[in-house]
Amino acid sequence: MMEHPYRSLEDVVQDDLFPEADLALRRGRHVDQEDTSLYTFLSDAQTYLEPFYRRFGGDLVKSADGYFYLLPVSAKGLPRRSLPNGAMLAGQALALLFLDPSVVMKEGGVLPRARVLELLASLLGERRVVGALNPRRRASGPSHVDEELARQELDRGLKLLEDLGFVDLLPDGRLKMRTPLLRFTDPVRESTDPREALALLVAANRVEVEA
Amino acid sequence: MTDLHTLVAGLQKQGASLHLDTTDLCFLAALHVKSQSSLDEELLFDVYEQVCDVTEPGAANPRKRATHALQRLREQRLLGRVDGAGLVKAGEYAMTRLGTAIVEFFLHEEVLTRESLTLLTKTLLSQLSDVLRASRRCETDEDWERHVVTPLNVTVRDLVSGIERRQRGMDAQQEEVRTRIADLLQSDWFAAVEACEDLLTQTASTLRELHEVLLQDATQLQNLLAEIEFLAPERAAHAARHVSEQVDRVSAWGQERLRAWSDYFQFVQRYLRSVVRLDPKRAVSQRLRELLAEWPERPWRLVAAEPTYVRLMREPEDRPLRPRVARPAGLRERPPEVVAVEGDELEGLVREALLVETTLSGVVQRVLPQVDPPRQFPAVGRVADHVARHARAQSPRERQWVPVDDRLEIEEWTL
Repeated sequence: MMEHPYRSLEDVVQDDLFPEADLALRRGRHVDQEDTSLYTFLSDAQTYLEPFYRRFGGDLVKSADGYFYLLPVSAKGLPRRSLPNGAMLAGQALALLFLDPSVVMKEGGVLPRARVLELLASLLGERRVVGALNPRRRASGPSHVDEELARQELDRGLKLLEDLGFVDLLPDGRLKMRTPLLRFTDPVRESTDPREALALLVAANRVEVEA
Repeated sequence: MTDLHTLVAGLQKQGASLHLDTTDLCFLAALHVKSQSSLDEELLFDVYEQVCDVTEPGAANPRKRATHALQRLREQRLLGRVDGAGLVKAGEYAMTRLGTAIVEFFLHEEVLTRESLTLLTKTLLSQLSDVLRASRRCETDEDWERHVVTPLNVTVRDLVSGIERRQRGMDAQQEEVRTRIADLLQSDWFAAVEACEDLLTQTASTLRELHEVLLQDATQLQNLLAEIEFLAPERAAHAARHVSEQVDRVSAWGQERLRAWSDYFQFVQRYLRSVVRLDPKRAVSQRLRELLAEWPERPWRLVAAEPTYVRLMREPEDRPLRPRVARPAGLRERPPEVVAVEGDELEGLVREALLVETTLSGVVQRVLPQVDPPRQFPAVGRVADHVARHARAQSPRERQWVPVDDRLEIEEWTL
């Protein structure tokens, strides 16, 4: 029988990987199995880290899809943020692409960034996409400037998704999708009624819904 | 060793290019299968028409298209005329080396199997062992050339090229596996999981075996090449080094493919586990699509931890006050000064001086005392101007500068 690597919280904190893992989690990063060493560390130390972070007002969540993230649950504890429009639209579009095997299997989850905007435009229409990404646009209709601002907002969203561990932005203009994108499917996983599912997620502090 | 720049420049100068559509390619393949040493024009036209019936059924005027195709293939040196009759009669043609090579690539898929790779590497080992034995007996440059350089340049390189060709076949096969996995999941989704896993496992084990063969044989090959290089003079050593680089490339290919396939294997396994098994009926995609479509009107947001930043305060410092810039107030407008008009008067003085003086300095010396001191300096220029108008200057190569008073001097002109 394999001996557990840690016998106390002190052993966990003394591990060389603890600072990197702790900083990543506190910055909102979702750690999946592609970050092999960090994921293994968190898996082995989970028993000690869960009560540790609870004292700071956070839940160390391990998703069934195979990734960890830190969820702030207390108003007085770890600060929390909700994802802006660009990140939400890009994240949902990428999750949809991630569920499509014809996109994912041939290139191992790597695709051009332009696919995200193409999918959003085909699902929502260009006008609604620009409106969602650039709420301050003129009522008369999206101009060239509005479209450029919308693209910039989407790029910022993708950058934030990279910081949070949802994607890797590659230097050649492509991006690599990662398993934590499945978090964007949480409202539609279990229940056929998304509103009911969202209400449950709001109660669990995992999402926010605008009134 | 071919110089890259010379090669590229030569090809560019020739305008080398290849343009083959599917019909052309099928035409060449059909000619290759005919396997005749020469083909007359009528036969070529017949073959083209048969190919056209398959690739472009209903195409207009196949005979004319055949003529154009024949011309096109000749210009690109894929077909060559083998008779010398010129315009006298219709020609006979044969496929060139280029045409044959292109068709063979498409017709013969060289898949990298363990047996074929082992055969190639063992043959290469045997050849290199012979070359090493020969190199120990070489005495003259001719011996080295015949028994070492030529075998390395020709036979050994051909074998290594054969391995590389088979690597490309394996790469193509891996690409097909990826496409097959994607198609299986797209069409059967959950029912395709087992088939996908089998495909992955088969390819992974093939790659693993290949890597082991490469690693083992590549080490022996490099050892032999190192010995040959140690014994050989420069030219033979250069040939050995070149082969060694090719063997390194082959090994690196094996390692890199194994790593890339390992990443892909893990990715697909995770995907099958987390996506396909959890959503066997693909309902999640449809629900997510609907949720995204109404997001702008019903937005929801994921929550995540926000990084905190420590606010670093600067040390307080006393900044010295800079004195305010101030100057005494002065009159913004000064009353105008009355100035005598000098023009005509000065000209008159200059004319009078020219009657007596023969140099510019002499003229200035005579006129200047009659001008108010504050206006003497600007007056000198006007004096020179008048002198230039009323006299002709004669200038030697170098003009002397002559003092006109204790404050001024002027470039001397001889008038």
